[in-house]
Amino acid sequence: MLENINQTKQEFTNELQNTHDLQQLEQLRIKFLARSGRIGGLFEGMKTAAPADRPMLGKALNELRQYAQLHYDAKKADLEQAQKPKEIPFDLTLPGRMKNVGTKHPVIQVMEEIKRIFISMGFSVENGPEIESDYYNFEALNFAPDHPARDMQDTIFIADKILLRTHTSPVQIRVMEKQKPPVRAIMPGWSYRNEAVSARSLVAFHQVEGLYVDKGVTFSELKGTLVAFAKQFYGSSIKYRFRPSYFPFTEPSAEMDITCYLCGGKGCRICKYSGWLEVLGSGMVHPHVFKAVGYDPENYTGYAFGMGIERTALLRYGIDDIRILYENDVRFLKQF
Amino acid sequence: MKVSQNWLKKYIDFNLTPEQFTEKLSMLGLEVEAFEDLAKKFDKFVVGEVIERAKHPNADRLSVCKVRTGKNVEQIVCGAPNVAAGQKVAVALIGAVVPYNQHARDGKPFTIEHVKIRGVESSGMICSEIELGIGKDASGILVLDTPAKAGTPLAKYLGQNDVIYEIGITPNRPDCLSHIGTAREIGVLVNKKIRLPKIVLKEIKTSASKFAGIEILDKDKCPRYSARIIRNIKIGPSPKWLQDVLTAVGVRPINNIVDVTNYVLMETGHPLHAFDYDKLAGHKVVIKTAGEGDKFVTLDGKERTLTSDTLMVCDGERPVAIAGVMGGANTEISDATVNVLLESAYFKPQNIRRTSKYLGLSTEASYRFERGADIDITVTAADRAAQMIQELAGGEILKGVLDAYPKKRKPVTVKAHAERINSVIGVSLSKAQIISLLKKIDLLSRSISKNEILVTVPAFRNDIMEEIDIIEEVARIYGYNNIETKTHAAIDFSSNVRNDEFQNGIREFLIGSGFNEILTIGLQDEATMSLAGKKPVMAVNPVSAEMAALRTSLVTSALKVVKHNQNHGVKDLRLFEIGNIHLLTSEKALNSLESYKEEERLLLVISGNRQPACYGNISQPVDVLDIKGEVSVLLSKFCLDNYSFIYYDTHEILSEECVGIEINGTYAGFFGKIKKQIADKLDIDEAVFVCEINIETLRGGWVRDRKFSPLPKFPIVTRDLAFTVDVTLPQRNVEDVIREAGKPLCMNVVLFDTYTGEQTGKDKKSVAYDLEFQSPDHTLTEEEVDSVLKKIIEAVNERCKGVLRG
Repeated sequence: MLENINQTKQEFTNELQNTHDLQQLEQLRIKFLARSGRIGGLFEGMKTAAPADRPMLGKALNELRQYAQLHYDAKKADLEQAQKPKEIPFDLTLPGRMKNVGTKHPVIQVMEEIKRIFISMGFSVENGPEIESDYYNFEALNFAPDHPARDMQDTIFIADKILLRTHTSPVQIRVMEKQKPPVRAIMPGWSYRNEAVSARSLVAFHQVEGLYVDKGVTFSELKGTLVAFAKQFYGSSIKYRFRPSYFPFTEPSAEMDITCYLCGGKGCRICKYSGWLEVLGSGMVHPHVFKAVGYDPENYTGYAFGMGIERTALLRYGIDDIRILYENDVRFLKQF
Repeated sequence: MKVSQNWLKKYIDFNLTPEQFTEKLSMLGLEVEAFEDLAKKFDKFVVGEVIERAKHPNADRLSVCKVRTGKNVEQIVCGAPNVAAGQKVAVALIGAVVPYNQHARDGKPFTIEHVKIRGVESSGMICSEIELGIGKDASGILVLDTPAKAGTPLAKYLGQNDVIYEIGITPNRPDCLSHIGTAREIGVLVNKKIRLPKIVLKEIKTSASKFAGIEILDKDKCPRYSARIIRNIKIGPSPKWLQDVLTAVGVRPINNIVDVTNYVLMETGHPLHAFDYDKLAGHKVVIKTAGEGDKFVTLDGKERTLTSDTLMVCDGERPVAIAGVMGGANTEISDATVNVLLESAYFKPQNIRRTSKYLGLSTEASYRFERGADIDITVTAADRAAQMIQELAGGEILKGVLDAYPKKRKPVTVKAHAERINSVIGVSLSKAQIISLLKKIDLLSRSISKNEILVTVPAFRNDIMEEIDIIEEVARIYGYNNIETKTHAAIDFSSNVRNDEFQNGIREFLIGSGFNEILTIGLQDEATMSLAGKKPVMAVNPVSAEMAALRTSLVTSALKVVKHNQNHGVKDLRLFEIGNIHLLTSEKALNSLESYKEEERLLLVISGNRQPACYGNISQPVDVLDIKGEVSVLLSKFCLDNYSFIYYDTHEILSEECVGIEINGTYAGFFGKIKKQIADKLDIDEAVFVCEINIETLRGGWVRDRKFSPLPKFPIVTRDLAFTVDVTLPQRNVEDVIREAGKPLCMNVVLFDTYTGEQTGKDKKSVAYDLEFQSPDHTLTEEEVDSVLKKIIEAVNERCKGVLRG
C-alpha cells in the first residue's frame, strides 16, 4: 500500500512535468485528484488495510493529496498566466500633460531683489507720480533754473513746468514733505528721458531711489550701506570704489563702481575695458534740499542714492540690447 | 573734453601711464572716459635716411634703396618715382602695421614682412602720406624735413607721441574745461603746483583806448568786457605744431588768429573772440540786448532770430556777435583782415544758457560761459592771445587793455566748521589737516576760531559757495576710498515699513496661473492710444511721434505685444502687466499737476489655445469664459465675494462680449473680447480677450486678514434640478432665484449643463444645476430637502417661467 502511494506520487510528478496546457492538466486532475481518481482510489483502499497500519497510511495519503493539490494549483496558475494575453506596459515616456508656465518679467525680478535687500535693512517702499512738476523734479532738488546741470537729464515736457519725471528723486521731496525725520525709504519706479532709442538707452526706464535722513548720518555710513547692498546683490567677493561725481541734490556726490564681474576687472567690452562697472550714484543730501522740505540742515544729515534697473538687469542676464526687455517676446520672457 | 598729455605737461610734470592717469583722475572726480595713445599707431615706424638709390635689376619702375634707420642700414625696394638719395623719409620696419594700403581697393591695413620683390630682398617700406594715414597724397613717398635724425621714432617726428584723454567734466566744474584746469587737478595727484605760461607783451606806444571804446548797457548780463587791439597782423595758416595740437583735441585749424583764440580757450578755458577791427562801425563795442524778433547772421552763415533776452555785442551801428555764443558773419576774420579787436569777456551764465537753448546753438564758448567762466582771468587771457598773435602773425599790440568792469567781483569767502566737516563725512580730521588738504586745490584758508576756518575761494571755482561745498572738496581730496565704510544705523522701530506686498501677491498668483509678465513703456503714438477712446496726455517735445502720448489704458500697448508675438509664431498667449496709466482730468489747467491723474492697473491678456500644445491636451481656442474664469479666480482669491459683474453691451475697446467689474460696489474695470475693428487696425487675426482692473480698487476689496469659519460637521445632501426656460433668459437669473429660494439650507448651486435642441424646442433651453444642502446643526432628512426643493421649483416657475424637466 505504502509502495503504491509512493509510486502514485512519482507518477503524478512525472506526468505533471509533462503537462504543457490546461487541457492536459484537467486530464491529470481527473486522473489523480478527482473523487474517483487515483488518490481517491487509494483512500478507498484504506478500508481494506490492516487497522494498525491505517494511521500511518492515512498520514502518507493526506500528505500525497496535499502535495498533489499544491503542485496542481501552482501548475494551473503558471499555465493560466502563460495563456493570458500579454498586458502592454504603460509607456511612461509619454509626455506629461503640460500646464501654462508663468514668468515674472526680468526687470521686475531684479527690482524685487533690490527691494528685498533694502527692506531687510529697514527701508520702507514709497511711490510718487510719473507726471511731475518742475519744482519736484528739479527745483526742490537744487537744480537752479537755467543751470547746465539740467542738461544731464533731457526732459520730456507735458506742459509748461509739467514734465515726465526724469528720475525717481522727486519722490525724495514728496516723502520728506509728508514725514519728519528719521526717514529711511526706497522709491522705485519708471523715469523718462528725451533720448534717442538705442541698444543702450530707452525713453523710459526704471530707477530705485534711496534716502536715509537722521541725526548723525555720515558719508561713511552711506558707503557702509551701499557696500552691504552691493555684496548681497553682486556677491560678497566684489571689489568696489567710490568716485567723486556731481548731482545737484547731493554733496559730496559719488558714483559707486564695482569690479566688472564679467571679466573680473581685467577689462572687457561690457566695462569698456576699464575693469569697472558704474552701478549707482549717491551722495549726502544737499542742505538746499533739506531747506526746500523744511528740514533743518544744521540738525539733520542724510544720504541718497539711485540706480538704474534695466542696466542692472542687462548685466545680470548678459543681455546686450536693452530694447529686447520691452519687446515682451514670450520666447524671451520664458527664459526667466 | 579732449586733453593732450603733451599739452598738459607744459603746466605740470607728471609721469603716469595712461592707465594710471585714467584711474587716478577718475578717483578725483574727473572721469576719464577713454584714451588714445597716438604713438601706438606708429609703433615700428622711424625716420630713415636714404643713403643710396639704385635701379632695380629686374624692374624699371622700382628702386633698391639703402636706408639708414638708426644704427642699422636696411635694403628697401621702393616703387615711388620721387625717392632719392639724401632724403629723410618715413620707414615702416618689419612688423609695422601700415594704416592704409594704397594698392588695395579696400585699403585695409597690412603688416610689413621681410620679402623678396622681383628677386631683391626688401626689409621695410618707405611710406607715402596716405599710407601713414596723415594725408591724402598717394603720388609718392613722404619726404621729411632734412634736420630730422635717422632713427627718430616717427611718432615723435610727427608730433604724434601723445596720449589724448577724453574726460567727462561734470557741470559743476567749468574750471576743469581746459588744460590748465586739468593740470591743476593733476597737481593734487602728484603734489605739485602748476606752472602758468609766462606772458611778455611787446606793446607799442599808441594806446588802444584811442582806437576803440567799450560800453556795457546791460551790466547784469555782461559784468565784464575786456579787449585788446592788434594792428597790422598777417593772416595765414598756423604753424604745424599749433595745427597739430588743435587737431589732437578735436578743434579744426582755420587761420593763425582764430587758432590762437582757440588755443587760449583750450589752454585757459576762457572763450575769446576776434573781430575784424576795420569792420566795427564807429570803432566801438556796445553790449546790449537785441530787439524782439531781430535777425542776425552768425559766422556759420545761418540767420538767427533773436529775443529781447538775447545779449548782443554791437558796434556803433549794428550787432556783431551773439554774446558768448557765436560771432557774426559781418565782422568775421578774413584773409583781408589787418587789424584785430580781441574780445575777452565774462557773461552771465544763466543768460548764455537761455540763449544757447533758445537758438539750439551750443558752442565751445557757450558751453563754458553757461557753466561759469573765470571773471578774474579776462585780461590774462587777452594778453596771452595777443602775445601769441604777435608771435605767429606779427603785428603791433596797442598799449593797454580796454577793460569795462563796472562792478568788481568781491573775493568770496566761506566759513567751515571742522566738526561739521567731520560729522558729514564720518572722519576725524584736525583743522590743520583740513587747511592743508584745501591748499592743494588753491583753496587758501585760515583758522578764525577754535573750530572754524575761513576759506578764500578763487574766481575759477564758482561752484564753491557754502560750507557743504568745502565739505565736498575735503572729502574729495582726502579720497573717498580713504573714508571708512561704516554701518551703525539704529533700527528705527517707529516708522511703518511699507512695501508693495499686494502687487507682489497678484504677481505670484498670476505666475502660478501660467501668465507671463510683460512690461511696456507708457508712451505710444496718439493714433493707437486714441483707440482706447480717451484723449491722452501728450508730450510737447516727444522723442518721436511713436512715443508722444501717455497711455490711458494698458490694453493698446499689450495688443502691440500680442502682435509682435504672433508675428514670431507665438500665438498661445497668457500675459499680464501691472503698470500706470495717465488721464487728463482737466484740459484747461495743463500747468497744474492736479489736471493729471495716475492710476495703477492690472491687465490680463489671453489669446490662442487654452492649453499648451502637448500630447493629451485638447487644443481648443480660448473664449470669453476663459477670461471670465481667470478674472473670477483672481477676484475670489483676493476679494472673496466682494465683487460682482455687470453685463454691458457696448464698450470702446471690447465687442458685445464685455463685462464690467465692481468691487465693493465701485467700478473696477472690465473684461471681454477685443473689438474686431481695433484688432483689424493693429493687424491682429486671432481673437484676443483682455481684462483691465484698477489696482487701488482691487486692493480696496482685498480681504487681507482672514477669519476662520468652522468646517461643517454634518453631511452634504446633493440633488440635481433641470429647468426649461426661455432661450434668451440669462442662466444667472435662474441661479439667483435658486439661491434665494434655497436659503438657508442650500449651500451651493453649480450649473453643470445647458442645452438647446429637439427636446427643448429652439425657443427654449434647458439649464441643469447641482445643488448641495447642508445644515450646521443636524443631519438633514429627506423630507427637509424635499420641502426646500419644492420651494425652489415653485420660485423658478413663478419668477423665471421655468418648467422642471422630468
